[in-house]
Amino acid sequence: MVGSSALTLYSRSPSSVSITLYIVMFVVYALAQGHFVTTPYGLSVLLNNSISLAVGAASLTFVVITGGFDLSLAGTVALTNTIISVAGFNGVGGAIEALLVVCVVGAIVGAVNGILVAYGRLQSIAVTLGTMIMTSGIALFMLNAPGGSVPDSIAYGLTGLLGPVPVAVIILVVFTAAAAVLLNYTRFGIGLFAIGQDRAAARASGVNVEWTEFRAYLTAGIVAGLSGYLVSAETGTGDPRFDASFLLLAFAAVAIGGTSFRGGRGTVVGSVVGAGLLELIQKTLFAVGVASFFTGMFEGALMILAVLVGSLGSLMAARRSAVS
Amino acid sequence: MDEVLHISNLAKAFGATQALQGVSFEIAPGEARALLGENGAGKSTCVKILNGLVRPDSGTIRLSGRDYRPAGLSDAQKAGVSTAFQELSLLPDLSIAINLAMPDLPTNGLNLVRFDEVRRRAAATLASYQIFDIDPASLVSSLTLSDKQRLEIIRALSRKPTLLVLDEPTAALTDVAWLYDQIRALKAEGRAVLFITHRLKEARDLCECATVLRNGEVAGTVDLAGTSDSELFRLMIGRSMGTAFPDRPDKTAPAARDKPEELVLSVEGLKSGAFGPASFSLRRGEIVGVAALEGQGQRILFNALAGIARITAGQVRIGGKPVKLRSPAVAKQLGISFVPEERKEEGLFFGLLTRANVSISNIGRVGRFGLVGRKTEIKQISGVSEAVDLASRYHDLPVDALSGGNQQKALIARTLFANARCLLMFDPTRGVDVGTKQAIYSVIQRAASDGMSILLYSTELRELTALSDRCIVIYGNRIVDECPAESLKEEELLERMHDAHAGRASKELEGGREQRVNSL
Repeated sequence: MVGSSALTLYSRSPSSVSITLYIVMFVVYALAQGHFVTTPYGLSVLLNNSISLAVGAASLTFVVITGGFDLSLAGTVALTNTIISVAGFNGVGGAIEALLVVCVVGAIVGAVNGILVAYGRLQSIAVTLGTMIMTSGIALFMLNAPGGSVPDSIAYGLTGLLGPVPVAVIILVVFTAAAAVLLNYTRFGIGLFAIGQDRAAARASGVNVEWTEFRAYLTAGIVAGLSGYLVSAETGTGDPRFDASFLLLAFAAVAIGGTSFRGGRGTVVGSVVGAGLLELIQKTLFAVGVASFFTGMFEGALMILAVLVGSLGSLMAARRSAVS
Repeated sequence: MDEVLHISNLAKAFGATQALQGVSFEIAPGEARALLGENGAGKSTCVKILNGLVRPDSGTIRLSGRDYRPAGLSDAQKAGVSTAFQELSLLPDLSIAINLAMPDLPTNGLNLVRFDEVRRRAAATLASYQIFDIDPASLVSSLTLSDKQRLEIIRALSRKPTLLVLDEPTAALTDVAWLYDQIRALKAEGRAVLFITHRLKEARDLCECATVLRNGEVAGTVDLAGTSDSELFRLMIGRSMGTAFPDRPDKTAPAARDKPEELVLSVEGLKSGAFGPASFSLRRGEIVGVAALEGQGQRILFNALAGIARITAGQVRIGGKPVKLRSPAVAKQLGISFVPEERKEEGLFFGLLTRANVSISNIGRVGRFGLVGRKTEIKQISGVSEAVDLASRYHDLPVDALSGGNQQKALIARTLFANARCLLMFDPTRGVDVGTKQAIYSVIQRAASDGMSILLYSTELRELTALSDRCIVIYGNRIVDECPAESLKEEELLERMHDAHAGRASKELEGGREQRVNSL
């Protein structure tokens, strides 16, 4: 059966739905916008606005695969963005310093989440909601209204071109490859899938469940810090308020990318492409002249469609194994 | 030479239940030892202690002469104890190769996993256990249950344990001869095997000696060649010796019941999931016991009758009328009430008051305009509370403040309040103390003499023989036998439960392992 084999393909490779959709949407977008979108500058514009969301979605993926949730992403982004905009970093050296600082801040938030969830056995949603509120509170303390300024070395350095290639493309490719390798080619990454599929079986297979889960939150925290760094580059300013729509879109990107919120299945590539797809939809709808308030409708429908296709695949698989 | 395993005076209590007490036995190098016992005799507690999943309260274990106190599964594996679990501990959406290589996946200089090496090793491992028809790159979830079980065993074997624990390994295995070969090879290498089974034939084939557990104590360690099946059964029986059963109004002449022949529930050719086809009936005021070893499909039967599991074929009649048990709500409306064994998880609403827990089954009866008044509620439920002997002072207490026995009473009161005619009770005395058991027995008997029909499953055979009017025996997802009241002796029942599989030793059971124990 063609239908079932196509679904099998999708269920085995969860990111294929979002990749297929991205290609289709990109063609539509290119047709509507002309050849401009395929130039380096056009690509750079397209990616610059979605790269921080892509990295944020990737950060969530590590935790979601274990079967948990990490809401602190929004708080970490607000806090790191605020720090960059008020700390007065300067020049290339300042950009590197800032990168280190956001990683450390993200790591601290992630470690707190990890200790409480993995070792304290507390619910991940509650814990990360708490740290989200705390971190954005600290951000508000540092900067009580949107403002401050992001050093030019970050704002322009990351949004420009390196020769003919947009810097955003380089960052995105290198980051996605590194995160995908971490998830799929290390003992740590495979341990995350194991925990998400069956905690007891993971333990029986010799996985150090607590330590692995702790590192999932730690990794998510560091990557969330990177996301805050990229937000700063995109906006060029500081905003201490956490952005709930950013958080929800990041979760939507994870779902569209084929990662199961039940844990155990998922890819970083899917989340990154999912984030890109959300941005691409906005731009395409704008390009073809659809009023902007329809965007949310399309994005929501897309997310449900992606989840539906994903679950159809596993449903078919279950049906087959029940028959055999 | 030292014994591989030396257990002495092991004890473990879970709350009021003494799961193990003074358990001692040894296993010599190259020996396969059978561990026998009824459900709940303490076999699985033994397995859990050996794997570090449960800490014993007292007693010592020595492994190859060294003190052995595993802190967890990986600790146990490092010390040389590996287990093939009955509930399987494989990761479904990872490849067979990764499952075999966990947790120490081979890596290269960059700490990246070498999947080619993982697959190569897996293929070699499978081949060394004479498995050639499984592709190590495929996902575990694509395997049949029998192959999953083989993989679970291979994984335990491939760790080269000094002690291999096999927990009911043949429940889903189609190729038992293959397992025999592996165990014999292991014995030849001087390793030890602890073989937990309920199949006496397999125990005899593989082991010289058997240790029999009863009520958490060692009833005896016997030479299998010199012990007959019935002698073994006698050793196994008698789990609840300390419990007295209230006298039942004469079983054979139920004078108190009007129209004793009225069929309340009759089931013909019922199929649900792997269970069936099964046919039986339940008369008014009758208690029918369900005797079965763990995981033989009894849970599916109860779930099907409660409207939880889908019935795929057959006919269910209530009071002679054909019915469709589409959902728990429909089953309840038709007068079937289900009392699950996990009172906390499936039955009662903790955090609500006792009276609310009782009245919730028929909440429409206690209120006006959608509001529930305390006085009306108490008035309405007082009848059923009396019937189950639930004191009225408990009505205004949160149900979690009640003792286990009173909780069970509240649960049964609820079913009465819903005008149930037929009660499905699944192991109602699991994990309750002796006094509570007494209370539950009298509630059951009282309900039956008031005309309630009861289908009762219990892991304690003595409860079945003492309470039931007759018993049906389930094995391998089918009703294989029916014992009338006259022949309800524990020995008889246990023999029938075991004999059942004599003719069907290897053709098994996709649905036999509904129970997924999450205590790992």
